[in-house]
Amino acid sequence: MEQDTLRKLELLNQLSLNEVQKANLLAFFADREKELDVLNAMNTDDVERMVHVMPIMTVVREDIASQPFSRDELQKGAPDTNQGYWCVPRVVE
Amino acid sequence: MKIWTSKTETAAVKKIAADDMMLTKDMPTAAGSKMLDGYLSLLEAEALTRMKNAGYGICGKANVGEFAVDLMGETSCYGVPSADGVLKNAAAEIVQSGEAMAAVGLDVNGSIRRAAAQYGLVSVKPTYGTVSRYGTVPVACSGETVSVTAKNIADCREILDVLAGHDDKDGTSLSEAECEKIRQSAGCGETVRRVAVISEFTEGVDAKTAECLNAAKKALSENGIEVAEISEKTIAAARIAWNILMSAELCNNVSRYDGVKYGYRSADANTIDELYTNSRTEAFGDLLKTAILYGSDTLSTENYMKVYDKALRVRRLVSESFGKLFEQYDAVLMPACSRSAYSEDITASERDIAFTENLYTAPASITGLPTVTAGGVQLIGKAFSENALFEAAKLYE
Amino acid sequence: MRYETVIGLEVHVELATQSKIFCSCHAKYGAGPNEHVCPACCGMPGMLPVVNRRVVDYGMKAGMMLNCTINRTTTFDKKSYYYPDLPCAYQTTQWFAPVAVNGLVEIETSKGKKNIRIKQIHMEEDAGKLVHDISEDTTCVDFNRTSVPLIEIVSQPDLSSAEEVEAYLERLKNLLRYAKVAECAMEHGTMRCDVNLSVRPEGSDKLGVRTEMKNMNSIDAIKRAISYEVARHIDAIENGTEVLVQETRRWDDIKGKSYAMRNKETAGDYRYFPDPNVMPVVIDDAWYQAIEASLPEFPEVKRARYIETLGLGEYDAAQLTKSIAVCECFEDAYAVCKSAKDAANWMLSEVMSILGSRKMTPDSLTLDGKTLGELITLVSAGTVGRSNGKKILAAMFDDPSLSPKEYAERNGMIVSNDTGLIEQVAKEVLAAEEKAVADYRAGKEKALAAILGKCMKQLKGNCNPQVLRELLIAEINKM
Repeated sequence: MEQDTLRKLELLNQLSLNEVQKANLLAFFADREKELDVLNAMNTDDVERMVHVMPIMTVVREDIASQPFSRDELQKGAPDTNQGYWCVPRVVE
Repeated sequence: MKIWTSKTETAAVKKIAADDMMLTKDMPTAAGSKMLDGYLSLLEAEALTRMKNAGYGICGKANVGEFAVDLMGETSCYGVPSADGVLKNAAAEIVQSGEAMAAVGLDVNGSIRRAAAQYGLVSVKPTYGTVSRYGTVPVACSGETVSVTAKNIADCREILDVLAGHDDKDGTSLSEAECEKIRQSAGCGETVRRVAVISEFTEGVDAKTAECLNAAKKALSENGIEVAEISEKTIAAARIAWNILMSAELCNNVSRYDGVKYGYRSADANTIDELYTNSRTEAFGDLLKTAILYGSDTLSTENYMKVYDKALRVRRLVSESFGKLFEQYDAVLMPACSRSAYSEDITASERDIAFTENLYTAPASITGLPTVTAGGVQLIGKAFSENALFEAAKLYE
Repeated sequence: MRYETVIGLEVHVELATQSKIFCSCHAKYGAGPNEHVCPACCGMPGMLPVVNRRVVDYGMKAGMMLNCTINRTTTFDKKSYYYPDLPCAYQTTQWFAPVAVNGLVEIETSKGKKNIRIKQIHMEEDAGKLVHDISEDTTCVDFNRTSVPLIEIVSQPDLSSAEEVEAYLERLKNLLRYAKVAECAMEHGTMRCDVNLSVRPEGSDKLGVRTEMKNMNSIDAIKRAISYEVARHIDAIENGTEVLVQETRRWDDIKGKSYAMRNKETAGDYRYFPDPNVMPVVIDDAWYQAIEASLPEFPEVKRARYIETLGLGEYDAAQLTKSIAVCECFEDAYAVCKSAKDAANWMLSEVMSILGSRKMTPDSLTLDGKTLGELITLVSAGTVGRSNGKKILAAMFDDPSLSPKEYAERNGMIVSNDTGLIEQVAKEVLAAEEKAVADYRAGKEKALAAILGKCMKQLKGNCNPQVLRELLIAEINKM
């Protein structure tokens, strides 16, 4: 893991690490990287990936609309709202 | 140190504590994170609704580690529960003291099982899809399960009976028909006759844990249950694959906490990126940040096939290995943790212990198999074999 | 050197469902900010996605309309990025097994017919809306559109001109509207388009540098943007005015220019992975067949039927089948008036002219075809004059519940059979129009039309023009 990759990961995940955290994280990544050898030693060429542990399929719902939650309730704990909108610092598109 | 994050009066005779991963409408849910400190949900966890409907009373919320990925709850924003130099677990304290007959919580990375083992309590992590996850704080959705901790097997079983059942609001919740089909294909017997002990999981545990294992083995043998020692490397690799899957899912699930809609917002937020980055950086703890960044890395274009996709395939291998084992054995006995207690400063010396100590909990998490922790050890069984596991565990409870 | 343009489109179409894709919130437009929102679609923890059946129905149907192969097991994946309109910081979409793949759409331009290959159609959730004009230093976020179901139709880079792009978009719109899965109105934002474009020397098999213009929402703007981009690319290639780079650009339709967007270092790193909370959607035979059975008559089939069975001309048939709303109105009218030619005539002249004068598109037609059929019957039978018929039609646009017959009766628009009255009026007019009568006698046919018009006016249009005409000629001959 390079410093550069780590910086990109921070940007991607909206986190900013201090130097100690960065050093710890690089060590953590190195450990995980080593562990990958164990997985790589396992032949998975013909193994189907397992996303869901139970072999079931989606049960769809009918297309019926309902609106049981009110905006006021939803925005009760909001840091900043205005006229029914959530607000953030101005976004330049 | 905080055991309860909230408490509430209940007239019910049978009192249940919910861990703070379970959303409640009348008490805040923080999931141990400064990000959600004081967050009041509009939803109530389906599991808690079922408890209430069955006449139980939810008496309060038990503190958890940040998003329940840590060892015992030590990463909670409300402080490290510890006493006498060892780490404590809030839900286990509550059950042990008798303040609640049981605790219902979300088993994300095994902290519930480790706590049950160290406190000598009983805990069941039922088969994935048995108990609705509606109204739980999502972290590692493909493997996390609503679990129960109680003083004994009878209480644990009583609560699980109330919780289990299909819920339309959870797309991964199993219907009765599906349960029956899987139960049949797994060939579930009502009793455990043969138990495997995998050597990869018994090496390197401390004396007291080894003692628990031996006691369980002895009790099983004395009751005519065959106990065999075997080696199983694939299942031991579950931890590595689980760390990848759990971290990636966690990264994605906690990305919603960005300071915009609710929860913590940094005071220092002049631009949208500052709002995001400062809010998350100030509110999340080190372990969570580690998991987020690691999980993100496993999903990068460069790593996806090498790491994430590989882990999904290894998950299949682990599941198949269990399947093969279950052709010969009815259950697998293994520790839930390597130590009978963790010193309160363990994370200072072993910073990443939540990613290594889950060696024992990852196999059941990654496969969705049921596991009963009792007598300081875990018994993992076939899908829907909870009853058989309870019966066997009674022998060493 | 001659150049050719290579264009691929990603078209986003909002599906016409009642509720959102993974939660039950209303998917309709027109609510106040954040009124169609629940904990799930504003990013709160605890709710789990439950798939709306109709979204899969429509995804499949769209796939079938575009000749795609339907993936009988289709799955959902998560795509992660931070933007304030995305409350969970991830979008649930289809990356690994989209609902439909490998389709084909035939388009027709001045150069003839051409097949455009469809790479895939995937189902996904829409994002919310940012509003910038409420306060100066903040952006306001509205999650009403969050999780509204979309399909994204990804074409192969088979398009080579703005004309083809227009024909392709019109074709998509026509087919999806026939299937009633979407409104596809760019002016309402229910159809949006990303244009991927590159330019290469004619005959070259190597693709040039590709640029992408996102979120285009008008066909005219797309055409202008394409011609600007093509010129910019050629200028760069020939004159080295700039170095072309693969990038996302924004089209400013007012300035008539495209601009490179501020690309983040992390752009494009979406970290797709399968959604653990959404089980695979398995489309069994019964489901597949039910959707197949619900497919509409395709535009070409309809057109051929109009020509062969109903005896319409090719042009009329082509015009009618451009819009399913027009077809439905026409077919209903025909069922009542029993004359396909009359019904087609009324649709293409009178109905279209009212639509045009009201600046309405044929797709927005809501006129009741059965009522139109009644009106046509009245006019054809000579019960109501044609010009009064047009007035009644206009009134029908304003009042959908209007009965043409009652309206005609109420407003004195019933053709009179009182020959005495007609004769009297004819005599009066002929007496007053000496010059016109003379002109007519001198061979000017037009003069008779003028006389006829004057009579009609006096009779308030309530007269069979043929009857009147014959009577006038007889009277003139008598004079």
